[in-house]
Amino acid sequence: MHGVWNAQGRIFRPGTAADHEAGDTGVSSVRGRGRNLEIAVDRALGAAAEELRAQFAGRPDFYRGSRAVANLGLLEPPAGELAAFRDALAEFGIVLDGVCGGESVAHIAAEVDLAYLGSAQVAEVAALPRKRQQREVRLSDEARSLVADFAGARADMVRRRVSGPSGGAATVVAAAGVAIPLQPRPVPAGVATLYHRGTLRGGQALHNLGNLIVVGDVNPGAELVASGDIVVFGALRGVAHAGAQGDRGARVIALELAPTQLRIATVIATSGADRTKRGPEHASIVDDRIVVVPFAEAELKRESHA
Amino acid sequence: MSARRIVFTSGKGGVGKTTTTANVGAALAKSGKRVVLVDADIGLRNLDLVLGVEKRIVFDLVEVVEGRCQLRQALIKDKRLENLSILPAAQTRDKTAISEAQMAGVMEQLSALCDYVLIDCPAGIEHGFRNALAGASEAIVVTTPEVSAIRDADRVIGKLHERGMPVRLIINRIRPEMVRSGDMLAVDDVTEILAAELLGIVPDDEEVIDTTNKGEPVALVPDSRLAAIYAKIARRLEGELVPFTVLSAPSFLERLFRKAG
Amino acid sequence: MINEVVQDEVPATGTVRRPRGRAIVVTSGKGGVGKTTTTANIGTALAVLGNTVVMVDADVGLRNLDIVLGLEARVRHHVLDVLEGKSTIEDALVSDKRVPKLRLLAAAQTREKDDVDTAAFRDLIGSLRDRFDFVLIDCPAGIEKGFVNAIAGADEAIVVCTPEVSAVRDADRVVGLLGDDRTVQLIVNRLRPALVRKGKMLSVEDVNDILHLPLLGVIAEAPDVIVSTNRGQPVALDPASEVGEAYRTIARRITGQDTAAPEIPREKTLFGKLFGGRS
Repeated sequence: MHGVWNAQGRIFRPGTAADHEAGDTGVSSVRGRGRNLEIAVDRALGAAAEELRAQFAGRPDFYRGSRAVANLGLLEPPAGELAAFRDALAEFGIVLDGVCGGESVAHIAAEVDLAYLGSAQVAEVAALPRKRQQREVRLSDEARSLVADFAGARADMVRRRVSGPSGGAATVVAAAGVAIPLQPRPVPAGVATLYHRGTLRGGQALHNLGNLIVVGDVNPGAELVASGDIVVFGALRGVAHAGAQGDRGARVIALELAPTQLRIATVIATSGADRTKRGPEHASIVDDRIVVVPFAEAELKRESHA
Repeated sequence: MSARRIVFTSGKGGVGKTTTTANVGAALAKSGKRVVLVDADIGLRNLDLVLGVEKRIVFDLVEVVEGRCQLRQALIKDKRLENLSILPAAQTRDKTAISEAQMAGVMEQLSALCDYVLIDCPAGIEHGFRNALAGASEAIVVTTPEVSAIRDADRVIGKLHERGMPVRLIINRIRPEMVRSGDMLAVDDVTEILAAELLGIVPDDEEVIDTTNKGEPVALVPDSRLAAIYAKIARRLEGELVPFTVLSAPSFLERLFRKAG
Repeated sequence: MINEVVQDEVPATGTVRRPRGRAIVVTSGKGGVGKTTTTANIGTALAVLGNTVVMVDADVGLRNLDIVLGLEARVRHHVLDVLEGKSTIEDALVSDKRVPKLRLLAAAQTREKDDVDTAAFRDLIGSLRDRFDFVLIDCPAGIEKGFVNAIAGADEAIVVCTPEVSAVRDADRVVGLLGDDRTVQLIVNRLRPALVRKGKMLSVEDVNDILHLPLLGVIAEAPDVIVSTNRGQPVALDPASEVGEAYRTIARRITGQDTAAPEIPREKTLFGKLFGGRS
């Protein structure tokens, strides 16, 4: 119920994004443009179709009635694969109108009766119709992908560390060397909280789309990554990354907050050398920095965040 | 100009590979060379701790290999020495996460960025050891003057010779008084058994425990006897002929009244 | 596969059903913290207490247990020979003239850890448990195949850790990999109470604050250990050695004869250093 231990000691929650290693996936993002979707494909169209099926299976009508455009980047898939992709989308009521990509894609598209829309376009931000609005979430440029790829937020952190807060590049070069235009994306509604009882040892990791609660210690060398909040009912000494897809309103709360490194969205902080034990504490982003206060003084209300 | 890629290995664990890699790297950087230290001990990383950068790790070697970040993003610049950077290992993975070819590829990329790539090898002679060697063209074997360490070093040197890799030796944690009483092998005995060129002799010193815990390589501590020795090792690596420091054992009275710390 | 009777002081398996022996792996993650020395000494101490003990060196390719015990000249066959059917267990077991109830099963020196089949190794440990009161497995450093093999047959583990941050990190990783099904206990080795007092070394409390393990024993740093290792004389045989005494106490705790909480060695006073025991 909690997950599966494998030989490396890593805990996976079955069916979450953490089951996918980067590079296994085909789709890198699904974005909205009004009632339309732009689907950026990373590597393999076949894998992308599978992935979309898996993702949409839980809510097959979510995008029903939408029209979509596939951004193939530098891919040149065989026509058969492109047709299969279109059919996969059709299963969920999504009509694939056309594709963008390199010039070579034009004739492939023609073969399967899809419009060629030129090279990759940058989609505008749009609100997708959501069934259950949980909260207003504003995401960073780096947060992307249907699969929880938390590396985007970290790339932003590293860039800021090196060159200061950036208005920088609009694209990040991803695994296959394909440039993917980045746009914010809403967090899917209805994600769950993962509850784990027991101490996490060095080398173990818990990743979750949603919130994360650990009852026990999180030792140095252990890693917690969540798109939502992180709560540790014990000593947090490892690395914790809350709001890992860019939610700057996420919190980290622990009975003993002494992490090797604390990350919320794209902001990073480390604890000082001070080893005095304080009581339970609460960390959140205030004015672009991570601020830690005693839990009793924490502002727990949901507010909109800069 | 491509960098020299040196792997620090030993066979036996706990002889001081990581500490040696960090300190030789720091000494080289201090002398003006651009140095990148690579932790090849995936799953049991320690180089970051020894250098005090564990809190600044965002990406690691495995993520570079998997293409989830760029090499530059994973490198951590040392705050004390601008010529020194470190590429940390992953902690939540194990050594099967990367192949020898992938390791060689990353080391190749790195060698365009600096003068020295120093690779900290994991203990043992298994997959991790082979990975670490894959990226290197020279080896430094670290050993202590104890029988079990020497036996393992001998095995490792054999494997290095099989690959045609030039090997030099650092003898670590030597205690002159124990050599005198015959409880530790003398330097000459060690070099004779292992038949390798001697690069350095480092005495046992409790300073190292403290500096390791604090994440401050002893090579950077001013006026430290060990720092001077690492500086000499760096010079020898650069090709200079530097005489070895004579290590004498403190007398009984010296030991009795030796100052704390 | 293997059905020999082991001779000397080890009773033959007959019609009497013996309780199955205990299989304990001694591990650490980090190298150089004293796994092999600990295995050798606990094994020796247990045997002196009257238990039949076999120590298995799982560090294929980098064997050392035989050296530490001073038995390297008597090794004729090793674990791989047994697993491959080239030798019986009987022929591979090395006996120790000083300690009649003690046997050693050495590792292969010229082979690789990848050569050992985990399941076969586990079965071998199982066979040994049928013949000995204690099977102690000396684990190699690291967390690779060698480690996986070494823990395969054991349902108890002793983690050896020195009071240094890197050793604690590595030990923690190993404890995570040992899983919830094994009984795991901690030995803190090479403690230097003077440095702990000065704040230059972690205390036992600091170590266990992270590791959260039942404490089996704490052993102070002592130069006589290196000497004994070099000479192949386990300190557990030396009645005058404090470290030897620490190992003997640990052995009694393992058998349940000693239930007192482990003592933390104290700093030696100047007087103690001048006139007490070894320096």
